[in-house]
Amino acid sequence: MTYTVALAQVNPACGDLEYNVKLHVAQAEQAHEAGAALIVFPELSLTGYSLKDQTLDIMRSADCPEFEALRKLSRHIAICAGFVEEGADGIPYNSAFFLDAGEVRHVHRKMYLSTHGMFEELKFLGRGRQLSIFDTRFGRTGIVICRDLFHPLEVSTMASLGVELLLAPSAMPARGFTGDELAIEHTVSLALGSASTFLGMFVVYVNRVGFDDGLGFYGGSALSDPVGGITVSAPRFEAVQLLGTIDTSHIARHRYQLPILREEDTDIVRHALDTRRDS
Amino acid sequence: MTVDALALNNAFVYDFLKRFVQEELYTSGFTEACIALSGGLDSALVLKLAVDALGVSHVHAIFLPCKASSEESRRDAHTMVEFCGIPWHELDISAMADAYLAVQPGMDRLRTGNLLARLRMAVIFDQSKNENALVVGTSNKSELLVGYSTWYGDMACALMPIGDLYKTQVRSLARHLGLPQQVIAKPPSADLWAGQTDEGEIGVSYETLDQILYLLVDQRCSPAEIVSEGFGLDLVRQIERKILTSQFKRVAPPVAKLSQRTVGTDFLYPRDWRR
Repeated sequence: MTYTVALAQVNPACGDLEYNVKLHVAQAEQAHEAGAALIVFPELSLTGYSLKDQTLDIMRSADCPEFEALRKLSRHIAICAGFVEEGADGIPYNSAFFLDAGEVRHVHRKMYLSTHGMFEELKFLGRGRQLSIFDTRFGRTGIVICRDLFHPLEVSTMASLGVELLLAPSAMPARGFTGDELAIEHTVSLALGSASTFLGMFVVYVNRVGFDDGLGFYGGSALSDPVGGITVSAPRFEAVQLLGTIDTSHIARHRYQLPILREEDTDIVRHALDTRRDS
Repeated sequence: MTVDALALNNAFVYDFLKRFVQEELYTSGFTEACIALSGGLDSALVLKLAVDALGVSHVHAIFLPCKASSEESRRDAHTMVEFCGIPWHELDISAMADAYLAVQPGMDRLRTGNLLARLRMAVIFDQSKNENALVVGTSNKSELLVGYSTWYGDMACALMPIGDLYKTQVRSLARHLGLPQQVIAKPPSADLWAGQTDEGEIGVSYETLDQILYLLVDQRCSPAEIVSEGFGLDLVRQIERKILTSQFKRVAPPVAKLSQRTVGTDFLYPRDWRR
């Protein structure tokens, strides 16, 4: 199967749900007209990132009236976008939904909420406790939000459980301006390369641009292909929408040539965790 | 350890800071910027960034001399204004300062310097209201860290584009952008009295200061580790002390907490709060 994915490297307005929904609708319509079957937005794309106490006001459930236009649009194009989810437990989560065929098909709650230095997510948001693995018309799909991508154990586990398409909405601020690329870009490229090269997954990494209180998000969204490497690479700092092609035959072909997953024996890991946890 | 550890990719930094100026202004609903020009390098660089970010007709720069200001300062400020293609504006603050100095005889140089910095602040904020502009600050990371700046004086502004650049990085970016050599090469000075220089006041060259600050702040090295890089212990301790004693300038004043939600403590919203 071959299909087109749109990477929506947008600059959401912090705390302005109405503006951001319109931005998403316009982007999704543009992607649909360009022939994309799926569009992926950054982390917290519907709300903005540095919300602080706006978190309480802006949290919604994925089936809230404000997102109705997006759910309707998903009859034509599948949509992965970030929002503050109001859990049934009343807790706000840093989540991303996957909409398809007019319905909410999945909601992933960010597991690893960055809380150090410039980040303060745990101060305002609850932790997700589950890997997101769900079947879509694109194959077995997983979602990791920003920092989740930097946890190789979780990403490897998702691959072991059959994930072929990894969606990675992000809000990564620029830092490390000394070299030919930003220090954070190098870190991300290691994570993308690892997921595609060793685990044979397509990764759709979509990072936002713009500034929240001096934090400048660098963009640099990318499509990582197990066979072709980085096949789509968005510019730094610019709001753009780029299209990439996913040929799912690359997954089997790559996994045949470098059969890491075929070799994988999770019992080794399970045994180690069971026996050495307290040692 | 050499200053090379502080080398930045100036093309990235320039692009990033231009976008920062643009977006921080536009997000706050402004299109105009006001900058107090001193004739020094920091305000020269900020002027260039603002003009490139916003366009020449949206940047309002004013030279605010007093009696003590040197002719070189006027000349260099003028050179920058010509370099950027914006009109020259000058407002002498001597009469304002003299009115106060006349009723406060015997003010020492520090008090006078702070007074002049705060008069300039009052003028630039008034001008910004007149122009419907935001005041763009010119503080750099070196002076913010050691507190070589006047609280609510030159530190007062709406945004600080070069606040995370050490002075040596400011020079490097200025060279990258082709700013006039006379502005880049001059000894940094607050220009409050004849012959005053930052380095004379702080007691160390910016090259040395920045390397020690980089090791202390960015690399979180201990004084012993910094001494092993070839720096004197007394100097390292002195710089550490300057950072500690100027901390109050870098934070908002503490509010005595009484209620459930207190401004600054748990009434937490981003500056870019738009609803």
